[in-house]
Amino acid sequence: MTHKNIHKVAILGAGVMGAQIAAHCANAGIPVLLYDLAAKEGDPNAIVNKALAGLKKLKPAPLGSPQAIQLIEPVNYDHHLERLSEADLVIEAVAERMDIKKAVYDNVEDHVAKDALFTTNTSGLSITELATVLPDSLQHKFCGVHFFNPPRYMHLVELIPTKDTEQAVLDRLEAFLTTTLGKGVVVAKDTPNFIANRIGVFSIISTMYHGQRLGIPFETIDALTGVLIGRPKSATFRTADVVGLDTLAHTITTMDNGLPDDPWQNYYQQPDWMATLIEKGQLGQKSGRGVYWKKGRDILVLDPETGDYREQNAQVDEDVLAIMKKANPQERLHKLQALKNNKQAQFLWSIFRDLFHYCAYQLADIADTARDIDLAIRWGFGYSHGPFETWQSGGWEQVTALIEQDIQSGHTMANVTLPNWVSEIKGAHQPRGSYSAADGIFKPRSEAAVYQRQLFPDSLLGETVNYGDTIFEDDDIRMWHQGDGIAIVSFKTKKHIISDGVLKGLRKATQLAEQDYKGLVIWQTEEPFTLGANLAPAAQAVASGQVTQVEALVNEFQQTSQALRFCGVPVVIATRGMVLGGGCEFSMHADAVVAAFESYIGLVEAGVGLLPAGGGLKEIARRTAKDTFGNDLYPMLEHYFKAVAMATVAGSAAEAQDIGFLDSHSEVVFNPHEILYVAKAKANYLADKGYRPPVEEQSIKVAGAPAIANLEMLLANMLEGHMISEHDYAIAKRIAIVLAGGYVEAGSRVSEQYLLDLERHYFIELIQMPKTLQRIEHTLKTGKPLRN
Amino acid sequence: MKPVYIVEAVRTAVGKAPRGMFSKTRPDDLLARCLNEIIGRNPDFDPQDIGDVVIGCAMPEAEQGMNVARIATLLAGLPESVPAMTINRFCSSGVQAVAIAAQQIATGQMKAAIAGGTESMSMVPMMGHKVTMNPKVFEDDHVGIAYGMGITAEKVAEQWEVSREDQDKFAYQSHQKAIKAIENGWFDDEIIDYEITHQYPNPDNPTEPIVKTHVADTDEGPRADTSEAVLNKLRTVFRTDGSVTAGNSSQMSDGAGALLLVDEDTLKKYNMTPIAMFHGFSVAGVPPEIMGIGPIRAIPKVLKQTGVKLDDIEWIELNEAFAAQSLAVIREVGLNPDVVNPNGGAIALGHPLGATGAIRSATAIHGLRRTGGKYGLVTMCIGTGMGAAGLFEVL
Repeated sequence: MTHKNIHKVAILGAGVMGAQIAAHCANAGIPVLLYDLAAKEGDPNAIVNKALAGLKKLKPAPLGSPQAIQLIEPVNYDHHLERLSEADLVIEAVAERMDIKKAVYDNVEDHVAKDALFTTNTSGLSITELATVLPDSLQHKFCGVHFFNPPRYMHLVELIPTKDTEQAVLDRLEAFLTTTLGKGVVVAKDTPNFIANRIGVFSIISTMYHGQRLGIPFETIDALTGVLIGRPKSATFRTADVVGLDTLAHTITTMDNGLPDDPWQNYYQQPDWMATLIEKGQLGQKSGRGVYWKKGRDILVLDPETGDYREQNAQVDEDVLAIMKKANPQERLHKLQALKNNKQAQFLWSIFRDLFHYCAYQLADIADTARDIDLAIRWGFGYSHGPFETWQSGGWEQVTALIEQDIQSGHTMANVTLPNWVSEIKGAHQPRGSYSAADGIFKPRSEAAVYQRQLFPDSLLGETVNYGDTIFEDDDIRMWHQGDGIAIVSFKTKKHIISDGVLKGLRKATQLAEQDYKGLVIWQTEEPFTLGANLAPAAQAVASGQVTQVEALVNEFQQTSQALRFCGVPVVIATRGMVLGGGCEFSMHADAVVAAFESYIGLVEAGVGLLPAGGGLKEIARRTAKDTFGNDLYPMLEHYFKAVAMATVAGSAAEAQDIGFLDSHSEVVFNPHEILYVAKAKANYLADKGYRPPVEEQSIKVAGAPAIANLEMLLANMLEGHMISEHDYAIAKRIAIVLAGGYVEAGSRVSEQYLLDLERHYFIELIQMPKTLQRIEHTLKTGKPLRN
Repeated sequence: MKPVYIVEAVRTAVGKAPRGMFSKTRPDDLLARCLNEIIGRNPDFDPQDIGDVVIGCAMPEAEQGMNVARIATLLAGLPESVPAMTINRFCSSGVQAVAIAAQQIATGQMKAAIAGGTESMSMVPMMGHKVTMNPKVFEDDHVGIAYGMGITAEKVAEQWEVSREDQDKFAYQSHQKAIKAIENGWFDDEIIDYEITHQYPNPDNPTEPIVKTHVADTDEGPRADTSEAVLNKLRTVFRTDGSVTAGNSSQMSDGAGALLLVDEDTLKKYNMTPIAMFHGFSVAGVPPEIMGIGPIRAIPKVLKQTGVKLDDIEWIELNEAFAAQSLAVIREVGLNPDVVNPNGGAIALGHPLGATGAIRSATAIHGLRRTGGKYGLVTMCIGTGMGAAGLFEVL
């Protein structure tokens, strides 16, 4: 088996998963042959073409940028079978039926390249059983790859080998899935529903069971099992609606059929209300209603007793709320357990307890280590912490004692005892590794080459993470290093908001980096990169009439951006998640940006009634002058103007490149855990090639008054078209003035500082307007923009 | 004043812009084809007698810049001694060109002239490739100049209380009338064939592109499959809570048209049969922000000038820039809806800006000849706030 990179992928089956996996490969720049049956009439590729058209409409968008779709080539089994040999990796994603899959395998066998990998994306069938219908020649290169829907956004991919799968096949796949596609790989044993769906669906089953047992209405269950306990906002039933009730029922049936001797076997049944809904075709989001029904503006909820929909009335108990929001994480489970007469507390304790019980019992059979279960549930179901971590956070032994007590008194769903190893260890995750029930040892993380690129992988509670040596640290910022000559700066503020302290710290960091380090990387220990500047102090200063203070603050912001730009050593910004406002402006001033594909970059100041005044508009004007090669500045300026005036946030790093927030030589990295590694490499490269910082430009060509008039024409029409408000107009007009370099002749030349002065002047004008202050106040209070 | 006779009135089919059949066909080529046809149909006529070729074009730049009239005249093979000029009064340019040519003949300065228009909205977008607005527009009361045509239509709809339902019904009828006209061959006398040539990359032999040709002889815009219900579902495009949609607005188009105008001496000299006479033309200004209402000033003005009564007019080509302004004009002036756009209008047939006046003149003349009517009016609104109207009499 060769170790050559995967340059081309073939996907068999252009269904929901096949087409979306193809889209994500295309996002990553990998050409795809997307196969399906030849249409009987007309265009033979009609089936695939229809799927491709569907990709453009799907939400959330499978494509990071519209151009990506060009990398997907529609093909069919009748005419293009011989082209399958072009692919280094084949992913079969046809219907979940043994006979259909066998027919496809027989059909393609002779056309799979000798050193290609052959995989199946199944969620319900046994990989070992599939291997029995697989031609011999494909056996050693075969395994399961289980993507989660939507594959672009769900981090998890389960890898399921058979006994015949060669190790080199798994290594190649793991490297490809991790670095090229940016996924989190968990190797699963071949048991029904593998790891994530086995545990995640059990969690849903037990939630439904205890909810019904305690008579808690659906919407209250969702209020209890969502963000309150570190799970996705869609909680339990909304998630079921999104997944599709039929799909959920199918995974339950898979467990029912595949696990006849399981102690929880009696519970692998869909509830009656679910069967009734499925019978009526009310399958959830895809059919307009399921557990919930969006009727006009209202979202009604099913009453399982009557089968009718009614208005929602979610009520979370005060005591439960206090425990979940205020209590120390170590005490939460104990406090819930102790509230014996509180239904909701007992409900939450029960679902945690039975989940822990279940995971402990199944660990040896389904996964290599507890780490695999925890990461699979985090990455596949969006839990902030996996079951073993949560258990451990409450004190491993204390929680174990409570579980055992409930088993003995018959309160648990199944009456099997906890496996012996539970009482032999002090926690599933230890600094030396995570527990493997099958082998009875703690196993460290994989040392495969691909993981050397993840300097800080998603860490589990109980693991130790070493964030290097501190250079300086205060409440807002930390500068540190890992002994390799590259300094790292991380913000410590909530959501990495850019506070005054962050600004001061960044300027100090640039000075220290110049003295003692080869380069400086700005990287956050977790998402987001930043939600932007802290607006509260500025708004307060204006309210108390201290405008000069605000002006000083804006000046400080601008000079911080400039400090990043002119720092004597290379400054590289590594982004993932939201990169808003000042974060985008910083990135525009860095020597290079290493952006995770899922970076959402934008200048959103207009949304709060302001304009980007941290050098963002200055940089746009400067870049426009540079990138138009002496030609008319206006078309590019108009493009940027629209993006800024409409507070556009790019939906991916690729889209940020299309818009121009990221310049075309920024680096897009698919795995968010690899950005620090690449950013350091980039800083080293820039330093090694003989870095010279840029010199402040004094002669930037600007578009001037004529461009302002043209942009104002757009605004006049939008105002008359009732698309924008008077205040939107006022904001956007000032953005136009700054971008154009003020009311000067077209082609006038100005300095960077001149543009910064314009930014600051119009920012100060805007922040004194009552409607802007209303916007800021509203956003600070609700987190949402106000249109006024 | 000498009488002015029209001997020929031809046009190309109208293609959709920016992705229709003429999207890769140059506007000078479209016009040259019309000029060629006129000369070809009159073999005895000496083109040296043509005093001028006057061509309307609303965005005379790029492919239709460089005095497109002169270029097309030379490309059509007319003698170098025949001069040509491009004129611009936006959407009325085509009929304005007829008026200018007619005045030259009426005052005895020319014996013969060609008038017409050409426009490729596929190649030159509305407002041209480089949009520039005078900053002074925003300094006082002139912001109306900056409004897009759609906004002006919304303002007309608001002020003249033209409902969304009425606009959609009007749009639907325009399509129905156009489809009926096409099915009955009612455009056959005015439309001349145009052979379109496409060159596509040939992956097998890059030095020899694949050449495909096809003949364009039918207007591309009319939709047999539309309905009031479909039109009612379209979203407004210019004002979020307005009533003007892509469906009840004119279509962007490509096309050309031309007419041969002569004096009585020329008719006799070459033994030509006239098909119509041109009697008069008027333009008038209105506020730019309600430009669509322009014809309400221009129509009475041309009637007064020529002494013809509104009731005597049996065919009116009222350019359907928008259903909103068309209905406002019909109601305000009291036009008989039965004689307005009997073959459909720009909502269905398209509106290649500067060519429309010439194209619709051909439609009115041939329509009246077919139905046995006498007087025809070609009228339209004009961006920045004007209206134009030209009066024809069919012989």
